Parts: sequence; structure tokens; C-alpha cells
Amino acid sequence: MSEPNAAVSANKLMDFLKELGPAFWIVVAVLALLPVVGGFLLNDYIYHLIILTLMWSIMGMAWNLLGGFTGQVSFGHAAFFGTGAYTGGLLAFKLGISAWYGLLLGGFVAVALGAVIGWICFRLRGPYFALATLALAEIMRLVANNWVDFTNGPMGIQVQRTFTTKLPYYYIVLTLAAVTYLVIRAVIASKLGYYFVAIREDQDAAEAMGIPTARYKRLSLYFSAFFMAMAGAFYMVYMGYIDPHVVYALHDISIITIMVAMVGGVATFWGPPVGALIMILIGELFRRLPWAGTAHLTFFGILLIVIIIYMPNGVVGDTHKLFGFLRRPVSRAPGPMTAEKP
Amino acid sequence: MKRLSALCLVAAAMLALVRPLWAEDSIVVGVPLPLTGDQAKFGEMEKNSYLMALDEINKAGGVKGRKLELDIQDSQGKPEVARSIVENFIDVKKYPVVVGAYSSSESKQVAAVAQEKKIPYLVVTGSADDITQQGYDYVFRLNHTTEMYPEGLITFLNEVVKPKTVAILYENTDFGTSSSKSFAKVAEQNGWQVLINEGYEKGALDFKPLLQKVKSANPDVLYMVSYVMDAAKLMNDAKALRVEPKLFVGGGAGFTLPEFQINAKDAAEYVISVTLWAPEVKYPGARQYAENYKKLYGGESDYHGVQAYAAAYVLADALKRAKSLTPKDIRDAMATTDLMTPYGPVKFISFGKYTNQNKLPSFVLQWLKGQPQTVWPKEYASAPYVFPVPRWKDRH
Repeated sequence: MSEPNAAVSANKLMDFLKELGPAFWIVVAVLALLPVVGGFLLNDYIYHLIILTLMWSIMGMAWNLLGGFTGQVSFGHAAFFGTGAYTGGLLAFKLGISAWYGLLLGGFVAVALGAVIGWICFRLRGPYFALATLALAEIMRLVANNWVDFTNGPMGIQVQRTFTTKLPYYYIVLTLAAVTYLVIRAVIASKLGYYFVAIREDQDAAEAMGIPTARYKRLSLYFSAFFMAMAGAFYMVYMGYIDPHVVYALHDISIITIMVAMVGGVATFWGPPVGALIMILIGELFRRLPWAGTAHLTFFGILLIVIIIYMPNGVVGDTHKLFGFLRRPVSRAPGPMTAEKP
Repeated sequence: MKRLSALCLVAAAMLALVRPLWAEDSIVVGVPLPLTGDQAKFGEMEKNSYLMALDEINKAGGVKGRKLELDIQDSQGKPEVARSIVENFIDVKKYPVVVGAYSSSESKQVAAVAQEKKIPYLVVTGSADDITQQGYDYVFRLNHTTEMYPEGLITFLNEVVKPKTVAILYENTDFGTSSSKSFAKVAEQNGWQVLINEGYEKGALDFKPLLQKVKSANPDVLYMVSYVMDAAKLMNDAKALRVEPKLFVGGGAGFTLPEFQINAKDAAEYVISVTLWAPEVKYPGARQYAENYKKLYGGESDYHGVQAYAAAYVLADALKRAKSLTPKDIRDAMATTDLMTPYGPVKFISFGKYTNQNKLPSFVLQWLKGQPQTVWPKEYASAPYVFPVPRWKDRH
């Protein structure tokens, strides 16, 4: 490394930190200090909900990188989630190694899976890619369900939970979510990010500009698959039990992940965390409405419809609609997904 | 303005969040159940049965002079929601005991949390063998484990049918796969040759290719683990293809329900099924439970319902005998349970790999003239069994 290069990267880092702004640090600091100063407010139930919200934020952010910034909509992110979960689970189940290693290893296995699917599918465009991912997740579920000798099939995998208290899980998932946020933000701020957005806005133009679109779509998929699988591996160690029906679920994982990103704000940095907050916390509040009974899902569905109709760019993407006096839209570099297409 | 009013609506909906207020002097116990989603049908049946038992218990004076209440919450059939519910029950609402959940994956979550927090938990319907094989001392199971389902059937096959070959078809769910595994093991132990052992995706549209294979293998017994619509479809297709094993056997689940007979019609005739319970079973209160259920809720109940009904009585019994309402004392009381219920005698014992598991016999029923009759074991039989079964072409 020569001197000027180091200086350049230090400059870049400064730029990145400047652009990151205080919001990120405030949120992380508040969450990190919460158990210390606000311990009296918390109990295991609240911890569980915050942990789930953070886990879903990671999943939403992972999907958002590919689906939001790069414009490649995936209907099968459960494939990566489940692969991460099963990597961790199988390490413990087959080899007797701690399932925690799945957090990293699961990511790489999912990247390998993404390499295969990306190699085949990124020759496809638009709805074809979406359908291919949908099929991938279903294939993974069927394989995990029927390959009983290897995966224990529908009987699932159970591991002993490492901690009986919530606090370690809380800090671990908070760290994972913060790292995911920073990495995705850095990726988008780099040259890669501009390529991704260029591909989303107009693939032909991007190609004409000399961007090898298939390669950059694959790169975006690798990042996305990695973080999704990390969340899956976390699910394994936190919940202690997985089966194919749970982790490769079309609705409960793939679709809800899309909802997290859509409701929060596609192609925004804070969209997925806000979306997770709505889907998990508000969803739980609705579930506990005493008078709603089993209609709570109907009411929650209506809320989501209202959000999508009045805020098509998500809560974060359309904050200026919530607070009309804030005339300028929030920073959502490098531009919302709804930009006009030719 | 529209936007504003929509927001107001949402805000109002949130403000309407009020905690349910329980009467001061009642004892409250938490029950997670899937009331929405694809398991909702059973969740509803169990909820009705819990409430029915609860009503009877409270009319008879409640527990320790106090009213017993159940806080039944919707788990949507998702393990992580089931976990939210138990964390809330134990940590926020401080309930001393948890009962219920439907599927095995939910029950496993609840069991793990209950054991960690040392809160007694009664498993009511989750049937995966390993739930009570973890050495958990705070987890009790009322119902049969998957391994126990075919016990009655095995003696029936050995003493009456004496098959040489069997074929197994199963839905590839937790229940179906583990049932087929344990039945294949049983077949091996009894010297029955397994010709076919194949799973299918639940809700399949066409069973003819699978059944064609069975037809050419021509086993003595065809053993099927299927839920109700698949079960009816399997029998209709078997009739159409003239598949002729000596006996069609259902591994519980769908083959015992009235809907099976309604959909399969005469193809259901002579089909034999494993069953855990039937209203005809000679346990005190069994028939009465089925009749009361029908009177109160209009529909039919099955073994899921009676499991819930019995669970409420086991709970009330343990609470009555507990020295105090602390989790520890309730656990100790539950461990010494010895109660007769409409679902059978309940006693939590440790045997084999199991801890705190109730051990119950299982039965064999046969569809005769469109009615499910208990035919085995003989001392519980409501009608004599028909075997050998006439071939398809000899039926009218």
C-alpha cells in the first residue's frame, strides 16, 4: 500500500462517516444502553420482541439490497434464510459442532447457493427472476423435507440453547443488525452501489455504459444471500428448533420479508428496520387486541393496505407525507425505486 | 383529509388496546393455540373443548374456592409467535402454569421455554416423540406419542390379519414421516416385508400413479398416513384402480373423521384405522363429551377436542392438589396425577426414553355400514370386526 492510497481510503472513510449521519449512532446507542439504563422497562417478552424485530430488520435489509437497490425482486429469500438455519443446525446435528458457526458458514453456503441460482437466473429479467427464486425456495423446502437421512426431514433439528437469558442474544443480534446496516450502506456508497442503481433504473442503458450487468446482479445477490442466511443461522441458535416448514416457508418468511421492506420503504436505508418494527411490534399489538379475537389479522391487513395505498414508497420513503411540514424528502440516496422508467 | 382520517382510525385502533381484566379472585392459566392459519380448525375445536370443561369445572365450585380462567391466545401456528405468547405468560403475566399449543413445532418451543423458566407445562396435542425425551422435568404430556399410535393395530395385524407384506404411503409432514418410520420399524420387527414406503406432498391432486405402484406390488396390507381429504381421495382412487390388498389401514389422522366417510362414501367401507379415541370407547364420560360438544357447538369433535377437554380436568386436578399456587408445587402435584378422564386414565410416568409421559392404549376402528366402530382390543369393541374384506367387485 502506498501512502497516497491510504490517504485516499482514509478520506473515503471520513466521507462515508459524514454521510452516515448521527441517526445510526443514536439508534445503536439507545438500543445498546437500553438494558443498562432502562432495565426496569424490559422483561423477557419485550426482549423477545426486540430480538425478533432486529432479526427481521436484517432480513429486510438483505432483501432490500437486491430487491430495492438493484431492482431484482426475489420471492424466495426463504431459500437463503433456511440454508443459513440448516447450516447451523446440521453442524450441531451431524458433526456436534456449535451451531453458532452457522452465522458465518451459513452465509458462505448461501452465497454458494446464490452463485448457482444467479448464474442460471440472471440471464432472466423481471418476473422470470422472481419466479425462479420462488421455485428455488420451494425446491429447498422439498429437499429438506424429503432428504430425511441428512436433514431429519419434517421432524426438524433441535439444539440446546446456549443461553437461558435473553441479554446475550439481544446484543448479538444488535451487533449483526448494525454490521449489516453499515456494510449495505458502504456498498451502496461505493462504485458498486451506483452500478446496482443503474441496473435497476435501466438495464439496457447500464449495459451500454459498459457495466457487465449479470456480474453485478450476482454480486448484489451474494451480499443479500449472505445476510439473509446470517439471520437464518441466528434464528437457529435463538429458537433452538427448526424444520423445513418453518424456515423455508413461502408466506411466513419470503413474503413477510418483502412486506418488511415494502412497508418500511423500498430502496431506503431505514425502511427495513422501520418495516420490521411495524410487522413485528404493531403486529403483536394487534394480535393482543382483546376485542378483535381471530379477526386481528384482518385489522392488521387493513393497516398494511392503508400504508401501501397512502405511502407507496413505504413509511420511510414517504415520511414527508406523514409530516407535511417537512417539505424536503428524507435522504434516500441514491434515489427512490419509483423513479420514472421509460 | 382522507389520509388524516385513515391515520386517526389507526391511532384509535391502537388506543383501544386494553389488557383483558380478569376477576381478582380467579386463577388464570395461559393457553397458546392456533386460532388463525391452516391449523385453525383444530385450534377452534380445542378452544371450544377447553371452554366447555372450564364451564363445568367452575359450576362444580372451581379450584380452591376460586374460579379457574384460561387466557387463550392465537399463535397463528407459528413457533416464534407461540414463543412470544409463553414469554408473555410467564414473564409479564406471571402465570404459574402453561397448557396447550397444537403442533409439535409449537409444543417444542413452549416446552423449551417452560423448562428454562421452571414453569410446569402440559403438552396436549403435540405428538413428536422427542418432546418428552429431553429429560425435561417441568414438561408433562397427556396425549399419545407418535410411537404409541399403532400399538393396538400391531396386535390386531398379528392376531387377525397375519400379513406377509405391507406397503406404506404417508404425507411428508412431521406426523406422517415419523409415523411411517416407526411403522416400518414395527414391520421389520414382526417380519412383514415392506414393499413400498413412499411419501407424498400433503394435498396432492392425484394418487393414481402412487396407487398403480401399490397395485403391481400387491401387498397384504396398505398402510396410509393421511389427513382427511387425502385419505378420502386415496380410497376413491384405490377403488377406481381396483387396488386389492387384504386390508386398507389408515394410520389415524384423517381416516377416523366423519368427513372421510362423507367424501369417500362406499370406498370407505371396511377401511380400518388406528385411533386414539372414539366416542364409543368405554371410558367414563367419553360419549357424553361427544354429545355435549355437538349440542353446544353443532359440529363433530374428535380426539384433538377430547384431549383439550381432558387437559382442563388434569389441570384443575393438579391445581386442587397443589400445596400452593407456585410453579414448583403445581409441578409436584402434576407429577403425582392419577385421574380418569374421557380420554383415558392419566398418569405421568417415566419409561424408556420418556419422562413425565402418559401411557395409553390405542384402538382400531373399522368403517362398517358407514359408521366408525371400535373393533379392537376386543374388551373395548363396540362391534365385531369384518375380516377378510370382500374384493371391490363383490361389493354392491
